[in-house]
Amino acid sequence: MAHQLHLSRRLATLLVAIGIMCGGCATARRRPPLGPAPALTGQAAAGQLAFMDKCNRCHPGGEAGLGPALNDKPFPDFLKRFQVRHGLGVMPHFSKDELTDPQLDAILDYLKALHENPSRASKSGA
Amino acid sequence: MKRRHLLSAMLVAAAFAAVSAAGCYRVRPSAGGGQTTAPSTRTTRPADIALPPGYRIEVVARGLTFPTSVIFDDRGTPFVVEAGYSYGEAFTTPRLVRVDAGGQLTLVASGGRNGPWNGGSFANDAFYVAEGGEMEGGRILRITPDGNVRAIVENLPSTGDHHTNGAVVGADGALYFGQGTATNSGVVGEDNFQFGWLKRKPDFHDTPCRDITLAGVNFPSNNPVKPGEKATTGAFSPFGTPTTKGQVIRGQVPCNGAIMRVNPDGGSPELVAWGFRNPFGLAFSPDGVLYVTDNGYDDRGSRPVWGTGDLLWAVKEGTWYGWPDYSGGHPLTESEFSPPGGKELPPVLASPPNPPPKPAAILGVHSSSDGFDFSTNDAFGFKGEAFVAQFGDQAPTTGKVVAPVGFKVVRVNVANGVIEDFATNVGKTNGPASRLRTGGLERPVAARFDPGGAALYIVDFGVMTMSERGPSPQQGTGVLWRVSRTGGR
Repeated sequence: MAHQLHLSRRLATLLVAIGIMCGGCATARRRPPLGPAPALTGQAAAGQLAFMDKCNRCHPGGEAGLGPALNDKPFPDFLKRFQVRHGLGVMPHFSKDELTDPQLDAILDYLKALHENPSRASKSGA
Repeated sequence: MKRRHLLSAMLVAAAFAAVSAAGCYRVRPSAGGGQTTAPSTRTTRPADIALPPGYRIEVVARGLTFPTSVIFDDRGTPFVVEAGYSYGEAFTTPRLVRVDAGGQLTLVASGGRNGPWNGGSFANDAFYVAEGGEMEGGRILRITPDGNVRAIVENLPSTGDHHTNGAVVGADGALYFGQGTATNSGVVGEDNFQFGWLKRKPDFHDTPCRDITLAGVNFPSNNPVKPGEKATTGAFSPFGTPTTKGQVIRGQVPCNGAIMRVNPDGGSPELVAWGFRNPFGLAFSPDGVLYVTDNGYDDRGSRPVWGTGDLLWAVKEGTWYGWPDYSGGHPLTESEFSPPGGKELPPVLASPPNPPPKPAAILGVHSSSDGFDFSTNDAFGFKGEAFVAQFGDQAPTTGKVVAPVGFKVVRVNVANGVIEDFATNVGKTNGPASRLRTGGLERPVAARFDPGGAALYIVDFGVMTMSERGPSPQQGTGVLWRVSRTGGR
């Protein structure tokens, strides 16, 4: 019984790993257009400004572009912080001189807002 | 204990996943918006385009060949400029056509084999159109409504990668226009042979607007003009010509990578600002400041540059904006601008003419952010914001992307640099209609409000697919769209 439990946990771990890997490389899906939330408040609004300065060119609107999409990633914040500070693959690192801790926290709040808010779009042609 | 093991395993898995995500760029093939096989005919379906609530879009005219701009005369009638040239070495006839009711097109004037006609304005009872000048050099043309064409400026240095763009009329009555650079980043190379012009103009190169001193950095390459041989080329010099440290290149006007102005009656152009790469779109803000879109560097040629966004600049007279050693105020020596696996990019200038300023906004890398206009009307909304047409990436020629970039119209708050989508194709992925198999936007190249500011016209260049061999533009697939309000917000 204990052996079966151990196997099931290993299987669960493997599935989680595969799931996160798929999430990491999957860039095709995007949020429904258009754009971010209508009213960003507090830190998320500050995060939007920092995002536009540092991130948007490679991840326009949080979507994929030169780099992969950011608005659909299940990674926890600590992992995103690690990647921003250290850079991985072709992503450059951002020092605290370039991007302060409060700015980084604000960007993470903005990304949450991108992920959580529904579309404001209307199909046109009416 | 087992819980700790599980936690550890998950952390390792998460870290591994993050590394995998970061490595996606290297592993994946390029997935640019043009890297598709387009349908044989273009369909248009406004419902396939998403807009903010309260707006609608409709087709005004279709069947255009390489349209680049819309101009309104003093009665508010729209006219479309057809380029007469497209990347892909596709030469057609440059045209100015009137758009009548029902989308009927009537020819006003046509040009020769010296496109692309890239835009223009109406003033003093005439149209002023920028003739890109791929074959004979750039010109600013004055075209009367009855079709008389006269050049008021000639011999602009346009026979390279980028052309003469604009023109817009300032409060001073002068015509302001952009002149793009000959090269990607200052050095003539094999990419320019592939573009087609190095074979035609083997001595052509960038000309600075003011005297510059070179660092003497040279770049080896194959010699496509003499297959089997090698070449070494320095900045601001003909292909195969090395430079030395301390070498001074004399500036002159007209020059490359510049905003210039000229009297509508003609005469010598005057320098406004320089150090741009391809200043394509020009517009004055409601408070009278000149703004310009500037296409960022490509990952190509002898001096490839990676990861530089397109820029929206507020133009300050006499200022140098950074090309070919900076992007958005940052030196290209920063490691993020070196292509993956490449070396640090040394500056080609011994020192910058001035500390380059910061841009008003940084747009998507390879988005080709081009023609734009400011909303001036509360009834339309977003007053004071810039509406920028994004032609979309030209991957893989200009560099690899993991997903299509651009192919939409965005609005930019020039006060804080925030960019948001305004008109973009419906779908689970971004991209041109030909890739999405819809009837939406293809390659928006200009956005301009009608004289009252109540409607935004979007000039859609049409289908241009991309492959390793370069662009394949399709004649007759251009569309003029119009966005207006459906009612109160």
